[in-house]
Amino acid sequence: MRRTTTSQSLLVATVALLAGALVVGPVATAQAQPKKPAPAPAPAPGDDDEIEMEGDEDKPPPGDDDEIEMEGDTGEGERNLEADLANTTTDAIKADTDRAVRPVSWSDIVVVMRKPFLKLKRVDLMPFLATTMNDNMIRHYAGGASLDYFLTDVLAVGVEGQYFAKQFREPFDLVGRQARRLPTINQYNFAGALNFHYVPVYGKFAILDKKLVHWEAFFTAGVGFTQTEVVPRDPRFPGFTNFNITPNVGASMRFFLTKWATINLGIRDYIMVDKFEPTDRSPTMNATASQAEANAEGSLINNVMFQLGVSFWIPPTFEYSTFR
Amino acid sequence: MTTNKTPRIPTLAALGALAVLAGGAADAHADRALDQQPAVRNRLLLVAKRLEATPLFEATINADFRAIIGGGLKLEYHLGDMLSFGAIGVFSASVNTKLTDRVLDTLEEECGEAAGCMNDQTREPSNTEFAQHLNKMPFHGAAYLSLTPWYGKLAAFGRAFVNFDFYFQGGVAFANLTSSCDGDICNDPHPGLNDPEAMITPDDNPNNDAPLNNGFRPGLYLGGGIHVFINDFLAVDLAVRDYAFTDNPSGADFNADLFVDDSDSRFLHHLFAGVGVSIMLPAKVKRTR
Repeated sequence: MRRTTTSQSLLVATVALLAGALVVGPVATAQAQPKKPAPAPAPAPGDDDEIEMEGDEDKPPPGDDDEIEMEGDTGEGERNLEADLANTTTDAIKADTDRAVRPVSWSDIVVVMRKPFLKLKRVDLMPFLATTMNDNMIRHYAGGASLDYFLTDVLAVGVEGQYFAKQFREPFDLVGRQARRLPTINQYNFAGALNFHYVPVYGKFAILDKKLVHWEAFFTAGVGFTQTEVVPRDPRFPGFTNFNITPNVGASMRFFLTKWATINLGIRDYIMVDKFEPTDRSPTMNATASQAEANAEGSLINNVMFQLGVSFWIPPTFEYSTFR
Repeated sequence: MTTNKTPRIPTLAALGALAVLAGGAADAHADRALDQQPAVRNRLLLVAKRLEATPLFEATINADFRAIIGGGLKLEYHLGDMLSFGAIGVFSASVNTKLTDRVLDTLEEECGEAAGCMNDQTREPSNTEFAQHLNKMPFHGAAYLSLTPWYGKLAAFGRAFVNFDFYFQGGVAFANLTSSCDGDICNDPHPGLNDPEAMITPDDNPNNDAPLNNGFRPGLYLGGGIHVFINDFLAVDLAVRDYAFTDNPSGADFNADLFVDDSDSRFLHHLFAGVGVSIMLPAKVKRTR
């Protein structure tokens, strides 16, 4: 009888401990992982700001271990960039379980955690605004859009189109009033291009030590056309338009907001040989548009523009195909 | 012995219950604790409590009449990981822009008092008058507070891993402007003065007025840039800086009153792009927890 009572009591205790273990389980298991430290305690009030030790560059910092272990496979679960970035315990357990069955080498340790954003076989539709950076007589504002398809995660091909609006800058007026000279300028009407993009730089940064943002830098090269139009010095004479073959090169940055939206900003140099109004126009010389165009002077132009756009990615989500 | 074991049973049950409660509390505590943790741990404090000395090169972006190109030094002390203060000084040379060269090429030569000289008979300046009214900026600089809210690391071509940070600066700017108009060019002793009693009437020719665009100019300063760290104590510093102060770069009549005075000056932005190499002292770097 006494033996029976003892067994029942042990059973109750065992059930209670199991219940406790089920709830505590994830935390306890996480603490049992050899490479996953418990969440670090907040610094004691008396602690010196943040500084703990001095430059031991040769040792891999424990913080990097944290980041590696944060790389869980979330392909089947949460499909949210914020959640991926904040991903912690559960996936760390998976990662360590996986590592336990095979030897770990230095080549398994990555410096930059898995990209939270994949571009392979996705389309990037980007409306953008742009403005001239290098013309002190006339400023162009442009509105446009680009459509790019990513052949790989770092290489894309696409098209762009933009429409320009002009604004004369202060020197345009000053040269006329102060130097008594009428500037010879062309305005841009619209442009289009076929572009290739290459992404060699990828990184992340923390804002105010709180939020991580991933970004990348990419280069663009392409060729297209620009329609420009002569702004006649004397309104009695007509202007004419030019259709210029326009190679372009540029560099841009892309900041990842969600799995389907990014912010892009960059600089693009549109290079063309443009034709300008001849200086000797009169009722008897170069009076018509065709005559002026025939005697127009050509000049190599670098139209450097700053661009800012928001990209929408299609399809709006993606799947990871590898563990990392 | 058996009786001694019996009291342990409720003890074990109580421990189990406590574990249940503690488990829930631990989860909640862990969540709260994680919320309060920094985004990055064991981070190299590449700027905190260090002196940054940056020899730099700087040039104007899209200047109207004269491009300013120069070299100087930036000294900055980082109070912490985000806040710093400093000063920058740049000695510069001035180079005519393409616009200025084109205008000068089309203006008539100065003929002074020569017979038949028509320089002063029109509102058109001679090329000498135009050129001598333009000013230069041999020295400029700023004192500022700087905020570094973003830091991170990047991988270039999947091989080169470097740290970087973005910073924003605001403060006071200053510039020393010079212009040198010869006495025989800027020879109007009373620009714009109309005093019939003294027999002085305006000549309505701003081209022979003094440009009044030299001297010390205080103003406002805004800047932003990026440090790309080559190692623990060297970084490439790329920046865009705006020195804003009153100026009349052409030294000519801006408000169309046919003479040059101080009212022709206006508050202008002088935008520069800069590149430098930052040397962080002390060279030894610390880490966060």
